[in-house]
Amino acid sequence: MILGTVVGTLWATKKNPWLEDLKLVIVRPTYWYDPDHNVDHLVAVDQLDTRAGQQVVVCVGLPGRWRLGDDRYPVEATVAAIVDRIEMGSAAEVQ
Amino acid sequence: MILGSVIGQVWGAQRSAQLGPEKMLLVAVLGAPGADGERVASGRVVVALDDLGARIGETVTVTWGSGARAVLKAPENRKVLADAAIARIVDGSSAGEE
Repeated sequence: MILGTVVGTLWATKKNPWLEDLKLVIVRPTYWYDPDHNVDHLVAVDQLDTRAGQQVVVCVGLPGRWRLGDDRYPVEATVAAIVDRIEMGSAAEVQ
Repeated sequence: MILGSVIGQVWGAQRSAQLGPEKMLLVAVLGAPGADGERVASGRVVVALDDLGARIGETVTVTWGSGARAVLKAPENRKVLADAAIARIVDGSSAGEE
Protein backbone atom coordinates (compact mmCIF):
# COMPACT_ATOMS: atom_id res chain seq x y z
CA MET A 1 0.00 0.00 0.00
CA ILE A 2 1.07 3.59 -0.27
CA LEU A 3 0.58 6.61 1.94
CA GLY A 4 -1.08 9.67 0.42
CA THR A 5 -3.31 12.68 0.93
CA VAL A 6 -6.79 13.09 -0.55
CA VAL A 7 -6.75 16.27 -2.63
CA GLY A 8 -10.10 16.05 -4.40
CA THR A 9 -13.07 14.13 -5.70
CA LEU A 10 -13.75 13.15 -9.28
CA TRP A 11 -17.13 13.03 -11.04
CA ALA A 12 -17.93 11.48 -14.40
CA THR A 13 -21.23 11.07 -16.19
CA LYS A 14 -20.02 8.78 -18.93
CA LYS A 15 -18.19 5.86 -17.44
CA ASN A 16 -17.72 2.14 -17.58
CA PRO A 17 -20.85 0.46 -16.15
CA TRP A 18 -18.72 -1.30 -13.53
CA LEU A 19 -17.85 2.10 -12.12
CA GLU A 20 -21.45 3.15 -11.45
CA ASP A 21 -22.00 4.13 -7.82
CA LEU A 22 -18.29 4.12 -7.00
CA LYS A 23 -16.92 7.31 -5.48
CA LEU A 24 -13.54 8.24 -6.93
CA VAL A 25 -11.03 10.44 -5.14
CA ILE A 26 -7.75 11.98 -6.25
CA VAL A 27 -4.86 11.10 -3.96
CA ARG A 28 -1.45 12.74 -3.92
CA PRO A 29 1.05 10.09 -2.87
CA THR A 30 3.46 10.92 -0.08
CA TYR A 31 5.83 8.18 -1.18
CA TRP A 32 5.97 5.89 -4.19
CA TYR A 33 7.61 2.54 -4.30
CA ASP A 34 6.89 1.71 -7.90
CA PRO A 35 8.91 3.80 -10.40
CA ASP A 36 6.47 2.86 -13.15
CA HIS A 37 3.89 4.98 -11.42
CA ASN A 38 6.02 8.05 -10.83
CA VAL A 39 3.23 10.59 -11.20
CA ASP A 40 1.88 13.15 -8.75
CA HIS A 41 -1.63 11.77 -8.43
CA LEU A 42 -3.64 8.59 -8.28
CA VAL A 43 -7.39 8.08 -8.78
CA ALA A 44 -8.70 5.62 -6.20
CA VAL A 45 -12.05 4.09 -5.32
CA ASP A 46 -13.24 5.43 -1.99
CA GLN A 47 -15.71 3.43 0.11
CA LEU A 48 -14.69 5.04 3.41
CA ASP A 49 -16.13 8.47 2.51
CA THR A 50 -12.89 10.39 2.85
CA ARG A 51 -12.61 14.17 2.69
CA ALA A 52 -10.02 16.36 1.02
CA GLY A 53 -7.02 16.86 3.27
CA GLN A 54 -7.20 13.49 4.98
CA GLN A 55 -4.21 11.18 4.88
CA VAL A 56 -5.06 7.73 3.62
CA VAL A 57 -3.51 4.35 2.91
CA VAL A 58 -4.21 3.24 -0.67
CA CYS A 59 -4.00 -0.36 -1.85
CA VAL A 60 -2.82 -0.62 -5.46
CA GLY A 61 -2.80 -3.44 -7.99
CA LEU A 62 -5.06 -6.45 -8.21
CA PRO A 63 -5.94 -6.64 -4.48
CA GLY A 64 -7.49 -3.20 -4.86
CA ARG A 65 -10.46 -4.69 -6.67
CA TRP A 66 -11.17 -7.75 -4.56
CA ARG A 67 -12.62 -5.40 -2.02
CA LEU A 68 -15.38 -4.79 -4.53
CA GLY A 69 -16.15 -8.49 -4.79
CA ASP A 70 -15.29 -9.14 -8.42
CA ASP A 71 -12.04 -9.36 -10.37
CA ARG A 72 -13.58 -7.69 -13.38
CA TYR A 73 -13.80 -4.19 -11.93
CA PRO A 74 -11.62 -1.82 -14.00
CA VAL A 75 -9.93 -0.62 -10.82
CA GLU A 76 -6.45 -0.98 -9.38
CA ALA A 77 -6.44 1.47 -6.50
CA THR A 78 -8.72 1.48 -3.45
CA VAL A 79 -8.62 3.51 -0.24
CA ALA A 80 -7.92 0.96 2.51
CA ALA A 81 -7.72 3.14 5.63
CA ILE A 82 -7.92 6.71 6.86
CA VAL A 83 -4.81 7.64 8.83
CA ASP A 84 -5.20 8.90 12.40
CA ARG A 85 -1.55 9.07 13.38
CA ILE A 86 1.91 8.30 12.05
CA GLU A 87 4.92 7.55 14.21
CA MET A 88 8.35 7.71 12.63
CA GLY A 89 11.61 6.35 13.98
CA SER A 90 14.53 8.59 14.88
CA ALA A 91 16.36 10.42 12.09
CA ALA A 92 19.21 7.92 12.29
CA GLU A 93 16.86 5.04 11.66
CA VAL A 94 14.99 6.80 8.88
CA GLN A 95 18.05 8.27 7.14
CA MET B 1 10.04 -9.59 -2.35
CA ILE B 2 12.34 -6.77 -1.42
CA LEU B 3 14.49 -5.92 1.57
CA GLY B 4 13.31 -2.95 3.56
CA SER B 5 13.88 -1.10 6.78
CA VAL B 6 10.96 -0.39 9.12
CA ILE B 7 10.89 3.38 9.63
CA GLY B 8 7.50 4.04 11.16
CA GLN B 9 3.98 2.96 11.96
CA VAL B 10 0.61 4.20 10.72
CA TRP B 11 -2.60 4.13 12.76
CA GLY B 12 -6.06 4.41 11.28
CA ALA B 13 -9.25 3.42 13.08
CA GLN B 14 -11.39 3.88 9.97
CA ARG B 15 -10.30 1.05 7.75
CA SER B 16 -11.80 -1.29 5.25
CA ALA B 17 -13.15 -4.49 6.77
CA GLN B 18 -11.04 -6.46 4.31
CA LEU B 19 -7.82 -4.80 5.38
CA GLY B 20 -7.65 -6.88 8.55
CA PRO B 21 -6.46 -5.96 12.04
CA GLU B 22 -2.74 -6.18 11.36
CA LYS B 23 -0.34 -3.34 12.12
CA MET B 24 0.49 -0.98 9.26
CA LEU B 25 4.21 -0.24 9.07
CA LEU B 26 6.10 2.23 6.91
CA VAL B 27 8.97 0.35 5.26
CA ALA B 28 11.72 2.10 3.27
CA VAL B 29 13.05 -0.01 0.41
CA LEU B 30 16.77 -0.65 0.89
CA GLY B 31 19.05 0.60 -1.90
CA ALA B 32 22.31 -0.81 -3.25
CA PRO B 33 25.12 -1.39 -0.72
CA GLY B 34 27.43 1.57 -0.18
CA ALA B 35 31.22 1.52 0.12
CA ASP B 36 30.98 -0.07 3.55
CA GLY B 37 28.74 -2.84 2.26
CA GLU B 38 25.73 -1.64 4.23
CA ARG B 39 22.46 -1.10 2.44
CA VAL B 40 20.81 2.21 3.22
CA ALA B 41 17.13 3.10 3.13
CA SER B 42 16.00 4.78 -0.08
CA GLY B 43 13.25 7.36 -0.42
CA ARG B 44 10.84 4.75 -1.70
CA VAL B 45 8.46 3.86 1.08
CA VAL B 46 5.69 1.30 1.18
CA VAL B 47 2.95 0.72 3.76
CA ALA B 48 3.02 -2.99 4.64
CA LEU B 49 0.84 -5.07 6.94
CA ASP B 50 2.68 -6.87 9.72
CA ASP B 51 1.59 -9.82 11.82
CA LEU B 52 5.11 -10.78 12.91
CA GLY B 53 5.70 -7.92 15.33
CA ALA B 54 8.46 -6.07 13.46
CA ARG B 55 9.82 -2.98 15.21
CA ILE B 56 11.20 0.32 13.96
CA GLY B 57 14.80 -0.08 12.80
CA GLU B 58 14.51 -3.76 11.90
CA THR B 59 15.27 -5.10 8.43
CA VAL B 60 12.43 -7.08 6.89
CA THR B 61 11.39 -8.64 3.63
CA VAL B 62 8.21 -7.28 2.09
CA THR B 63 6.19 -9.32 -0.36
CA TRP B 64 3.81 -7.37 -2.49
CA GLY B 65 1.25 -7.63 -5.18
CA SER B 66 -1.22 -10.44 -4.92
CA GLY B 67 1.38 -12.47 -2.97
CA ALA B 68 0.86 -10.28 0.08
CA ARG B 69 -2.45 -11.91 0.91
CA ALA B 70 -0.77 -15.32 1.05
CA VAL B 71 1.38 -14.06 3.93
CA LEU B 72 -1.62 -12.96 5.91
CA LYS B 73 -4.53 -15.32 5.57
CA ALA B 74 -3.71 -18.37 3.49
CA PRO B 75 -5.65 -20.01 2.02
CA GLU B 76 -8.90 -18.10 2.45
CA ASN B 77 -7.47 -14.79 1.48
CA ARG B 78 -9.06 -13.88 -1.77
CA LYS B 79 -10.51 -10.61 -0.61
CA VAL B 80 -7.73 -9.27 1.58
CA LEU B 81 -7.29 -5.60 0.67
CA ALA B 82 -3.51 -5.50 0.93
CA ASP B 83 -0.74 -5.37 -1.65
CA ALA B 84 2.25 -5.47 0.72
CA ALA B 85 2.98 -7.58 3.79
CA ILE B 86 6.02 -8.31 5.92
CA ALA B 87 7.04 -11.91 5.29
CA ARG B 88 10.21 -12.18 7.41
CA ILE B 89 12.20 -10.24 9.95
CA VAL B 90 15.79 -10.51 8.72
CA ASP B 91 18.56 -11.57 11.11
CA GLY B 92 21.36 -11.28 8.57
CA SER B 93 22.15 -11.40 4.87
CA SER B 94 25.18 -11.59 2.62
CA ALA B 95 25.96 -10.76 -0.98
CA GLY B 96 28.70 -12.24 -3.15
CA GLU B 97 31.91 -10.27 -3.69
CA GLU B 98 32.50 -9.08 -7.23
